[in-house]
Amino acid sequence: MDKIKIIIDGKEITGKSGESILNIAAENGIEIPNLCHSKELENFGACGLCLVEAEGFSRLLRACSARAEDGMKIHTDSPRVKKARNAALELIMSDHEGDCIGPCSKNCPAHTDVQGYLKRIAEGKYSEAVRIIKEKIPIPASVGRICPHPCETECRRRFAEEPLSIAYLKAFAADMDLKSENPFKEELLEETGKSIAIIGGGPAGLSAAYRLRLIGHSVTIFDAMPEMGGMLRYGIPEYRLPKAVLKKETDAIKNLGVSFKNNVKIGKDIALKELQKKFDAVLVALGAWQDGKIYCKGENLCDVFGGTEFLRGVNCGKNPDIGKKVAVIGGGNTAMDACRTALRCGAEKVYVIYRRTREEAPAADAEITEAIEEGIEFKFLAAPEEIIGTNGKVKSIKLQIMELAEADSSGRRKPVPVEGKFESIEVDSVIKAVGQKCDLAGFEELELTEKGTVAAKAKTGETNLKGVFAAGDITNKGPSIAIEAIAEGNTVAKTINAYLCGVPFDFGEDAYSERKVSAKDYEHISKIPRIKMPLKTAEERKNTFDEVICGFTEERAKAEAKRCLECGCHDYTDCKLIRYARENRIDMRKFEGVKHNSFTERKLLLIERDQGKCMLCGLCVRVCEEKIGKGLLGFRGRGFKTAILPEFEHGEEIADCANCLECAKICPTGALKIIK
Amino acid sequence: MKIVIGEGSCGIAAGAAAVHSAIEKIIPKNSGIKLDITGCIGMCFLEPIVDIYEEDKLIKRLIKVKPEDAGKIVSAAKNNDFSLLEDITIAKEDEEFLALQTRIALCGCGKTDPTSIDDYCLKGGYSALKKAFAMDPEDIIDEIKTSGLAGRGGAGFPTWFKWNAARKSEGKHKHLICNADEGDPGAFMDRAVIESDPHRLIEGMLIAAYAIKAEDITVYVRAEYPLAIKRLKNAIKQAESAGFIGENILQSGFSCKIRIKAGAGAFVCGEETALIESMEGKRGMPRLKPPFPAQKGFKDEPSNINNVETFANVPWIIEKGGAEFAKIGTEKSKGTKVFALTGKINKSGLVEVPMGITLRDVIYKIGGGIKNGKEFKAVQLGGPSGGCIPKELLDTAIDYEALSATGAIMGSGGMVVMDEDTCMVGVAKFFLDFTADESCGKCVHCRIGTKRMQEILTAITEGKGRPEDIELLEELCEAIKDGALCGLGQTAPNPVLTTLRYFKEEYLEHIFEHRCRAKECSAMLTYSINPEKCVGCTLCAKKCPVQAISGTVKKTHSINKNICIKCGACSKACRFGAVSIE
Repeated sequence: MDKIKIIIDGKEITGKSGESILNIAAENGIEIPNLCHSKELENFGACGLCLVEAEGFSRLLRACSARAEDGMKIHTDSPRVKKARNAALELIMSDHEGDCIGPCSKNCPAHTDVQGYLKRIAEGKYSEAVRIIKEKIPIPASVGRICPHPCETECRRRFAEEPLSIAYLKAFAADMDLKSENPFKEELLEETGKSIAIIGGGPAGLSAAYRLRLIGHSVTIFDAMPEMGGMLRYGIPEYRLPKAVLKKETDAIKNLGVSFKNNVKIGKDIALKELQKKFDAVLVALGAWQDGKIYCKGENLCDVFGGTEFLRGVNCGKNPDIGKKVAVIGGGNTAMDACRTALRCGAEKVYVIYRRTREEAPAADAEITEAIEEGIEFKFLAAPEEIIGTNGKVKSIKLQIMELAEADSSGRRKPVPVEGKFESIEVDSVIKAVGQKCDLAGFEELELTEKGTVAAKAKTGETNLKGVFAAGDITNKGPSIAIEAIAEGNTVAKTINAYLCGVPFDFGEDAYSERKVSAKDYEHISKIPRIKMPLKTAEERKNTFDEVICGFTEERAKAEAKRCLECGCHDYTDCKLIRYARENRIDMRKFEGVKHNSFTERKLLLIERDQGKCMLCGLCVRVCEEKIGKGLLGFRGRGFKTAILPEFEHGEEIADCANCLECAKICPTGALKIIK
Repeated sequence: MKIVIGEGSCGIAAGAAAVHSAIEKIIPKNSGIKLDITGCIGMCFLEPIVDIYEEDKLIKRLIKVKPEDAGKIVSAAKNNDFSLLEDITIAKEDEEFLALQTRIALCGCGKTDPTSIDDYCLKGGYSALKKAFAMDPEDIIDEIKTSGLAGRGGAGFPTWFKWNAARKSEGKHKHLICNADEGDPGAFMDRAVIESDPHRLIEGMLIAAYAIKAEDITVYVRAEYPLAIKRLKNAIKQAESAGFIGENILQSGFSCKIRIKAGAGAFVCGEETALIESMEGKRGMPRLKPPFPAQKGFKDEPSNINNVETFANVPWIIEKGGAEFAKIGTEKSKGTKVFALTGKINKSGLVEVPMGITLRDVIYKIGGGIKNGKEFKAVQLGGPSGGCIPKELLDTAIDYEALSATGAIMGSGGMVVMDEDTCMVGVAKFFLDFTADESCGKCVHCRIGTKRMQEILTAITEGKGRPEDIELLEELCEAIKDGALCGLGQTAPNPVLTTLRYFKEEYLEHIFEHRCRAKECSAMLTYSINPEKCVGCTLCAKKCPVQAISGTVKKTHSINKNICIKCGACSKACRFGAVSIE
């Protein structure tokens, strides 16, 4: 056969005469996007992604069918081609009803593959589960215990009964793995010879260190405290996260070859400039360790403690003198940790003073419940007016009674004082847990935000200093939950690696397809109640720092994991559609409109079909007809309502089906799934 | 004396059949008066039409004839005295309607009896076929090339080129296909030709089949044309008996069969490759080109497809010579074109005009201008694939290139005239409703793209348009034009593109001012009663289908806006112009 030469995007390639542009390109390693093409089948021309521009041709050509001619000059990426191709992708997406990933993963700041690890847990493959978790979270046993789990908030099981116990299952898997003879072991890439200094050994610093170390970089973490873990070590009380668990996980990171330098304070023991000189890159990942003020009289009395200051003291083994009666100011998780820790430090009466009601309190509701069970008294709609003391010692606290007015900018109803209404309670000490701030002494060269945090570029973590990056509580909007710091640690690691490799940081944002659902969609799901994590009784737990949860048995953990509805697409990692959508950076919502492809599940004997993900490429129809010779599938309807339906309506079985599964195998999206 | 009644579908719809039986009943035996039928005369606005011939000379054309006119018609014919028929005789200026036309494809329409092969032969029928058999097939193709005949189905591709490709294509069996799946809203040219002069089509197809060496001919005609199918079937039978179809036709050594395939009503089957799929019994979805039908068509064998009007021109060209045909028209567009002239026009009907005539001449000289003295706003050419041409461009010549330059297309011949009361966004929406519905569903750009355009246009006409919608529409138009698989999809944006080009201010008024100047988009209108004009006749209240109007006799009425469905019944009913629509 004759050889011809064509030029694709400026590159000269050769191919057989009579071949299509798409095939010649593919043989030369150039991928022209396509969704409806298969080398084994007749060309079809439905998807419109393989459109190319050939010089001298007025119309765009479909590369799958257009024959290459000698000397043809073809462009696969011209503005006109991109427009037509992107429109095709945007149109397909506008009629695509499916979740790439589950809402749990989507709502997790680190986008942990929840569905993936729950499946492994259900199968008893804990080490596998941990491998999946550690792709995003290097310290799962710790995070699983303390995470406020945004994943569970979005879990679709909530429509049927209750969300899955995702966080505790994560901790369970990690515990099982730590206990096992063959715990999960990471594979390190070859040493790169590049070095990174990480300042701060909390969740952000640890996860960045872990990620960068795995790539083969040399990583040193500097931390002002004697142990690594940051707020997890010095803020979270023992009864929620045992130090021993955290230590095992930080040790594992150390064992990967990350160097730990504790008791080092920047600006005092070593200057930032020096680190910049010694290391190829620096990551600033401090926590927010300064307590907020309550701005009332008596705040400076000596028995008034900051929330994190108090917890840090207890976590360092010191017992701050709080007396018998303690008032904790605030309604967040730190306030909960502080009040319950105060109880365990010997206080007999602990009050929580919060100026709004329980509904508005930012603390996890379970924490409030557990605190009440342990005997903590909550005073809602009350604000400190004055802390009264004699001889520098706290005697009592005067509270202004509040009521709720209209919602403020945060959407919460604003507390306002009820004029002339006060209450006084006798206390020996006050713990103010009303927000945290950053101490940036030693980092004067870094540009700050209005909030006094480090100004770091969103999604890359770049600061104003070249080679210096920042992540976690210290940056931008300020302190948040651990998993968010971990997510930022992961992202900044990617940036730092790119920086060290000298490539641009422009990663773009991952686009996802998302299904709109309502409770109605879950009416048919059989109800399986959530398996609750067993807790010690309030009596058992209130006077000891022992962990309050009892842990899952294997049987219960597996049963709970099996409740997962597997909302995420089975084909996510192989899906050509989402890959093209991302590569072309399309606007997923540009052509939003009615969807005819609603989520409907139909089953053949071995195939599950999700109509919502079908983009009518016709590959299944054609493979059944042309390759298998059965011709069982077909199109029905016209126009927008066209669907590949007929045989999928007959329920479980088609008499003539060869069960060859070719249709499911060739499907370019997740519309057809083989049931294993 | 011969009485001839126009009995195309249009005439029958207007009552020609009743007129026929009324006349038939009272014609005295042995009076020498013959009663005949013919097809579509072309003047829809005057149907039913009855012609009176003496020998072959038309001596009287009667219009809007009713069955009760039968008596005076028969007696007039009998007595050769037409004085009593003056009130139903065609007016002088209406005769212009035909006089200004140049009829080639339609030359037998309204003259020939479509049910009689003898009548066709008497008027010179099948002589072109005989002449063709004496010619070398290559010379026939040359003759067509000389004529400049281009495909009349819409795309305007040179006919000789297709024939030549099919002729040269290697293959044992070749097929000739006639596309009679006329689907554009408002178009009825092909139907009229088949119903009125089926033998002309058969003759044209046989000449083509002979030229490309096709052994069989299939006429793919939409099932919604029952009369056309009936007359064509009859004509095929007659032609078979007469030896024009079958083995060794007229001892030429050439054999050919003709069959009819009724299409099941999918617009996309007018696209040639979808038509072939449908002929093969498959779902009507267009194929990828290449390969073209000339190489791989019906049953994967070389096939040539032309539409009815194209074939109907062929006998004339062979008879009179390609050069004669080429004398008509412009430099690049030769011959004539048939249009179905409809809409807000005084004289609607079927017209065949020489290429190069201006739109203004067709609309005003032949069509007699706009109905009810209204202002002309636009003319829509080419159906769902075409575009709207505004007043400023009325002097555009009918010629493939000139029309394409306006953004419209020649198309298959739909010509819909719109007046000032037509909302141009509504027009665009009408066509998009059509194409979105008729998309075969195969390719993404057309299936989803036209749906999205339709949704945006619907929102605009309902007063829910967003400022970004125009840009979004333009983007969709470009993408669909470039990305759709077949002609249906590629041209679907044309109605939107042309209305955006010439009537953008109407879009902007809908979006930003929530105003429809044509007062067609009911969502944006409110109906109220002007107390100064209302006399309290109660008629509006009686006509209101939802009892939204209250008021007593001789008192001003009022409309409850919460109940009003804006149907317009009150405004039509009011004789005092008291219903105001804003």
